[in-house]
Amino acid sequence: MSVAYGRISPWATARVLVQLAWARTFSVTLVAGVIGLLLLPVLFALAFASRGSLSGDPVAFLVQRYDTLVCGLAMPLIALLMGTSAFSAETEDGTLLYLVTTTTPRWWIACVRVMYASIVTGLLSAFAVWSTGAIAADGSNPEHVTTAFTVAVLFGGATYAALFTALALLTRRALVAGLVYVLFWEGALSRTFPALHYLSVRQWTLAVASALTESSEKALQDGPSLAASLIGAAVLVVLSVYVGGRRLQRPHMQR
Amino acid sequence: MSDVRKIEATVPLAFDRASHWYGDVVAVNDVTCAIEAGITGLLGPNGAGKSTMLQMAAGLLAPSSGTVRAYGESPLANPSIFRKVALVPEREALPSMLSARAFVEARAVLLGLRDPKLAALRALTTVEMDTVADRKVGGFSKGMRQRTKLAAALVHEPTLLLLDEPFNGLDPRQRLHMMRLLEDRARDGTAVLLSSHILEEIEGVASRILVMLSGRLAASGDHRTLRRMMTDRPHTVRIRSTNDRALASALLSSPTVMGVDVEADALLVRTADYTGFAHQVGAVAQQASITLLEVQPTDESLEHVFAYLVAR
Repeated sequence: MSVAYGRISPWATARVLVQLAWARTFSVTLVAGVIGLLLLPVLFALAFASRGSLSGDPVAFLVQRYDTLVCGLAMPLIALLMGTSAFSAETEDGTLLYLVTTTTPRWWIACVRVMYASIVTGLLSAFAVWSTGAIAADGSNPEHVTTAFTVAVLFGGATYAALFTALALLTRRALVAGLVYVLFWEGALSRTFPALHYLSVRQWTLAVASALTESSEKALQDGPSLAASLIGAAVLVVLSVYVGGRRLQRPHMQR
Repeated sequence: MSDVRKIEATVPLAFDRASHWYGDVVAVNDVTCAIEAGITGLLGPNGAGKSTMLQMAAGLLAPSSGTVRAYGESPLANPSIFRKVALVPEREALPSMLSARAFVEARAVLLGLRDPKLAALRALTTVEMDTVADRKVGGFSKGMRQRTKLAAALVHEPTLLLLDEPFNGLDPRQRLHMMRLLEDRARDGTAVLLSSHILEEIEGVASRILVMLSGRLAASGDHRTLRRMMTDRPHTVRIRSTNDRALASALLSSPTVMGVDVEADALLVRTADYTGFAHQVGAVAQQASITLLEVQPTDESLEHVFAYLVAR
């Protein structure tokens, strides 16, 4: 008896790869952590809104919270969790073998995992941006700042997700490496040495937001140009899928 | 295609002076062999290089030197080879939140099968897991996991099946069932390469056995040849009795005994004919009015047997 082969279906394989990723990602701890990260800017917005006319300029408030709490914390950490959890767990327990001993192209496996992490990160971050803006600006969109950051986090989420998904295949300590990048490289070094802005996903995200809003808040003026940010992100995403696909040719699994 | 390439393409798996090392540790050392249709056992103690051989065969590890070819092609970075090849890993882990059916179907989709549901059902039925197919694998016993892994490997009916310690965790009935299943596959022309560190596990099922030790191919042949090599080798037996010295003297006159060492509280007897010695030792002791307190073979571990085979 022999089985009949069809063409590898991109959608069917994507569904399966996402299903397997979700099975490895989902946990009560992860959901609690993500909710906590998303609630942080919302709580600030509630405090801001509760002060009514005493609370000051909503644009300045929103730019600052979006910069520090969404772009600087929630978005990269959600991307880190979504990007690393599936591949890291599969590498650790050896179940990655069930993906790489199939006829599905390796680059497609990496690509789907990047898309999965990008979409989840982007949508969750956009939700945090939108709900914070809606509460703090009372439903309005002053200087298009909420719209600008919604687009920016979709862009930044995809870039972070690509970086961390590839990282999960490159090192067994992807979570630590990702935290070092977010907290040390972007949080400390990049602030001290402006030249490093060109190698910061957070700054690329702010550059996109800056291009879409009329606000002239300082946080939006320091970063690299929009063109440099878009090119940097595109290179990073393509490189991550390429490196991830290459790595899946010969994965390092725990023995 | 040249004649040589045509012949190569019909050989399921061929190692040609293949070696693999992890840093300074040589895991597989200069192995040359070909795996044909039928069941081949890869026998060796833990750390002998069996898993590394299987991973090289599946293209998950590159040989540090030499070549590995599956159906004439390098399995490295060659996903299409998995239309013909499947690997059942030693590790038990499976995605615990999925049911056995969902897991095997996922494999069928990733392998590009036209009807993944039917293929999964067939594979699960083959390994007798169809009745529990909708239970999550997280709650499975070791044996059930082993069979689910086998179903995931059989879902596309590969013609080269690589199994790493497949009998681990199976009860005797399940073991027998798996042996029959593998035999059926082999009869249908599948090349099966299975590893084990227990000779009894594979001698009943494998028509050919490759013995690995410290990364080297120490011996190969059918199980009768290997059994003979193992039985005919010198054995050492430790004996405690009521009078060790008198027993040593009596045993030296026996034709089955090659030599005797007297230790503080026991004798170490070397014999080339283990069965003959076992039959005679009681009679010799009785004749000399000596009571045997303990008769214990000292070198029956697989490592001893392998060491002997390598030293030959």
